[in-house]
Amino acid sequence: MTFLVLVLTLVFIGLIMLFSASYAYAYYNKGDSFHYIKRQLLFAVAGVVMMLVVSRINYHILHRFSLLLLLITITLLIVVLFYHTGNARRWIPIIGSFTFQPSELAKFSVVVVFAQLISINYERMKNPRYGVWPFLAILGMIAVLMILEPHLSGTILILSIGIVMMFIGGTDLRWFMLGGVCIIIGLVIVVLIPGAVPYAMSRLEYWIDPWKDAQGDGFQTIQSLLAIGSGGLMGVGIGNSRQKHLYLPEPQNDFIFSIVCEELGFVGATLIILIFALLVWRGFVIAMRCRDRFGTMLAVGLTTQVGVQTILNIAVVSNTIPNTGISLPFFSYGGTALVMLLAQMGVILSVSRQSSLEKE
Amino acid sequence: MVKQPSYHMKSRIVVILVGMLIFGFCVVLHQLFRLQIVQGSELQSRALSQQLRTNRIAANRGTIYDTNGVVLAQSATAYTVCIEPGTIKKDDSDGTKQQKVIDTLVSQLGVEEEFVRKKLENPDSYYYQKIKTKVEKPEADALMAYVSENGVKGIFLEEDTIRRYPYENFAANVLGWVNSENVGAYGLESYYNKVLSGTAGRSLSMRNSAGVTMPLEFEQVYDAQDGNSLVLTIDEKIQHFLEKNLETAVNEHRVMQRVTGIIMDVQTGAVLAMASKPDFDPNDPSKIIDPKKIEELESLNTYEQREQYQEALRQAQFAQWRNPSVSDPYEPGSVFKIITASGALESGAIDHGTQFFCQGWVDVAGNRQRCWVWDQNHMGHGEQNIADAVRNSCNPAFIDIGQRMGKYIFSDYFSNFGLTEGTGIDLPGEVKSIYHQVENMGIAEVSSCSFGQTFKVTPIQLITAVSAAVNGGHLMQPYVVKQIVDQNGNVISTTEPKVKRQVVSEAVSKDIALMLESVVTEGSGKAARIPGYRIGGKTGTSEKLDGRKTGDPMKYVVSFFGFAPVDDPQIGCLVLIDEPDLYNAYGSTVAAPVVGSILADVLPYIGIEPQYTEEELENVATQTPMLLDKDIHDAESILRIAGLKYKIEGNGTTVLRQVPGYQEPIPKDGRVVLYTEEATEEEMVAVPNVLGMTVAQANREIVDIAGLNISISGIGIEGSHSQAISQSPEAGTMVQHGTVVTVRFTDTSLAG
Repeated sequence: MTFLVLVLTLVFIGLIMLFSASYAYAYYNKGDSFHYIKRQLLFAVAGVVMMLVVSRINYHILHRFSLLLLLITITLLIVVLFYHTGNARRWIPIIGSFTFQPSELAKFSVVVVFAQLISINYERMKNPRYGVWPFLAILGMIAVLMILEPHLSGTILILSIGIVMMFIGGTDLRWFMLGGVCIIIGLVIVVLIPGAVPYAMSRLEYWIDPWKDAQGDGFQTIQSLLAIGSGGLMGVGIGNSRQKHLYLPEPQNDFIFSIVCEELGFVGATLIILIFALLVWRGFVIAMRCRDRFGTMLAVGLTTQVGVQTILNIAVVSNTIPNTGISLPFFSYGGTALVMLLAQMGVILSVSRQSSLEKE
Repeated sequence: MVKQPSYHMKSRIVVILVGMLIFGFCVVLHQLFRLQIVQGSELQSRALSQQLRTNRIAANRGTIYDTNGVVLAQSATAYTVCIEPGTIKKDDSDGTKQQKVIDTLVSQLGVEEEFVRKKLENPDSYYYQKIKTKVEKPEADALMAYVSENGVKGIFLEEDTIRRYPYENFAANVLGWVNSENVGAYGLESYYNKVLSGTAGRSLSMRNSAGVTMPLEFEQVYDAQDGNSLVLTIDEKIQHFLEKNLETAVNEHRVMQRVTGIIMDVQTGAVLAMASKPDFDPNDPSKIIDPKKIEELESLNTYEQREQYQEALRQAQFAQWRNPSVSDPYEPGSVFKIITASGALESGAIDHGTQFFCQGWVDVAGNRQRCWVWDQNHMGHGEQNIADAVRNSCNPAFIDIGQRMGKYIFSDYFSNFGLTEGTGIDLPGEVKSIYHQVENMGIAEVSSCSFGQTFKVTPIQLITAVSAAVNGGHLMQPYVVKQIVDQNGNVISTTEPKVKRQVVSEAVSKDIALMLESVVTEGSGKAARIPGYRIGGKTGTSEKLDGRKTGDPMKYVVSFFGFAPVDDPQIGCLVLIDEPDLYNAYGSTVAAPVVGSILADVLPYIGIEPQYTEEELENVATQTPMLLDKDIHDAESILRIAGLKYKIEGNGTTVLRQVPGYQEPIPKDGRVVLYTEEATEEEMVAVPNVLGMTVAQANREIVDIAGLNISISGIGIEGSHSQAISQSPEAGTMVQHGTVVTVRFTDTSLAG
């Protein structure tokens, strides 16, 4: 129940903030202030319905679909490389202006498949044949496909979810240490050998000092920082953001939280972060209370997804980490993402429901 | 078989949860705290600097009025025509849009095609290029009408103001002018720039990055505070009298430098008129309007001499913008004797009985100083008291007076009369005098100072000082602005006449005034006489010694200070003529008639009625004096003294023809018409029929309506029963203006 309330609260606040953040941009670019909120509202309603429906379905049927999901995901990830909208190979056009983002599905698939694998092989997780290689194979394949899009942030997110699930699933800690060492070596290579990864150096430079090129590569970050800073303690008041007036590019997307900070101030931002933290906490509580490992791992994976995505997003907008382009759950504009997210929240609710049903 | 999550799993969940809370949420919260609380205000001001657009709202510049509310300077709306090259060149691969813009600007504003092309290519700004500034409303309206009619894109107007001086080169040196940024550059426009310009308003608006005002309640408008207006002490009419006479003087005496005149209310220090000629038109201050200067510049205007030309042009511009009344000190010459005499009497160095002997020259420190009278008659003035010395303008007498005073007393009075300090007049660029160090003064210096040489004062200093000598002894602070009023006419401040100090006693002042009257009635100032008025004055002719090379002809500044009425001094007028190019040019011959003509215009205007003395009434001309080939001012002076009226036809400076002619009879109060230009077509009038009329009726018909003179004879002309019985010439005859019509009357009551 608490979890549902938290989800609905976030959806509600998210919609309000989306409207506030997007209307000026929508007005100037689409000629209609309501352009984004209309669509997002539609998806939110659909998503909430979906969530409630899913929460009534026994999540165990996902057992049967896990392999299928993985296959569909991989197929779509390949399809999107050839059939996509615009220049970014991220969205598959469906009908009209509606698009589908396979990487959204990929996150879910990874969670389901990993949960399945862990619930089956839990006793043998210490053995790398069961505890490391299958996971790495799946993650590797998906990661490669997503980097080809390219969708770096999505890749990072999926890797994070995968690693957390492996950790909780019982993979030997040595492997994490090994992985950690690999990541550090990779980072050192990126930093020391310029050109090893294209744009990596410049991204890092603008992360360290975004003012260096305030009108160019640092522009979005700077506009975000200006918005956040303008908020101060109490914010400029809801609807009163100035940075959303074409200063901050696409304020309805990844950088919506900057506008939240500007309008609601440090106090408002803290409250929203608190709600997210509570959601994560409740998600993990549901996971722990679950009677079966599949459900536990589902709840863990999905909760981790929301948590990590939230943290990464806020870290990006506040320039804590380099700009990767990651959306804020429940807030950022994006129909597929919102419906998928709510459906996934429905799965967590289903886990919660099943465990309380089984208690009785 | 359902396997529950193990303890191991749960504990790892807790590790992840805590990890996320600490390394995730707490880290981002900390970062937000830093950004919003620690660096909040800094980031906020950075944000505001990009969001806030300040638009200047121009304040209306105040108006300048003369003392009666006549507008002398006023601002009007004008426009700056701008183009947006970015908009024009967008989707314009074939250049038709650009051509359209160019054609429009060339045809409507008369700018060069090449100029517009350069602006279109100028990389400084793609959205703002000025094409023409100070475009007046009708032209701007026509342009915009053309623009909308022909669908031209990318031309827009910005509002601006333009300063208009309706009387053109009128009081130009007093008013000054404003530069293209609407800032006063010279004159009152400069001195009172802050008062006139007001405070520009600002509209602070939040703009989005496209520059469009955000549809929010951010707009903050700080209204422009319109400038206040100035009401001057200058009277447009009096200024006009002054300028008219100065302009004539420039031409009739072929003045090489400038002619400067100041008319002051001697009791208050209020400047009623101030001018220098040639001057300039503040509507277009850079234009040289002195024909002599234009000619000079034209001779330099060649490619080879372009640098000298530019320099000469600049010099000429600076010269015409200068206000000599406050900025150019000169050696006042004999006019200064007023101060020497006042100081000597007041200090007790001399009294009315003191005798000064003039043998025609005096030796001072080995140098022989000749009196002017020696040059003319080879004799001296003989024994004189102070009044004689003033009337004779006798240098040896004044050398004696200066020596009797001694350098300390002399210098004390010099500075008491305000001649060592600025007058504090509210005009920019006032300079101080050039005077000796008292300690370094020797007998030679005191001697020459006593008759107004070897030091320099500004005209405003001098007129202020001599006014103090005649107004009862009060040294006033001269001023030009009487009131400052706001846009609604509310008086913000009023200038009260300010007495600086009493420099001489009332008694001395009265004596000085009487002495100066005798200068006009009997002495060198006769040319300033005006029948019916008691005029006092003093001439001055000073040699311009500095910068003169040996062998160069001597250059002079001739000047005259006149004031009236002597028994109750009200206005004073100082005119100085810098380098008249004439043989025999003295203050008495050149400057005095000019002041006379000015006072003759001004005194009736300010409401001082003429009161003729018996002598003046008797001094009725019966014969028209000889006026041909005389300068206008001389002719006027002669006619004034003869008690005749006159009318000047044409704009010339010399009398070419006079009606009635020389020695022709003319009645008392008759009017002489002076023709200064060769009339291509003679102005003739028909003699009216006055037969049967009374004297009064005939007089009206002939004098007032037809502009002729009437000569009355016969009996009974004193009574009301007179009747004209004959006239000559006959009615209907075409005659020139000024012709005398003789009418014979008879007394009808006697016949009956």
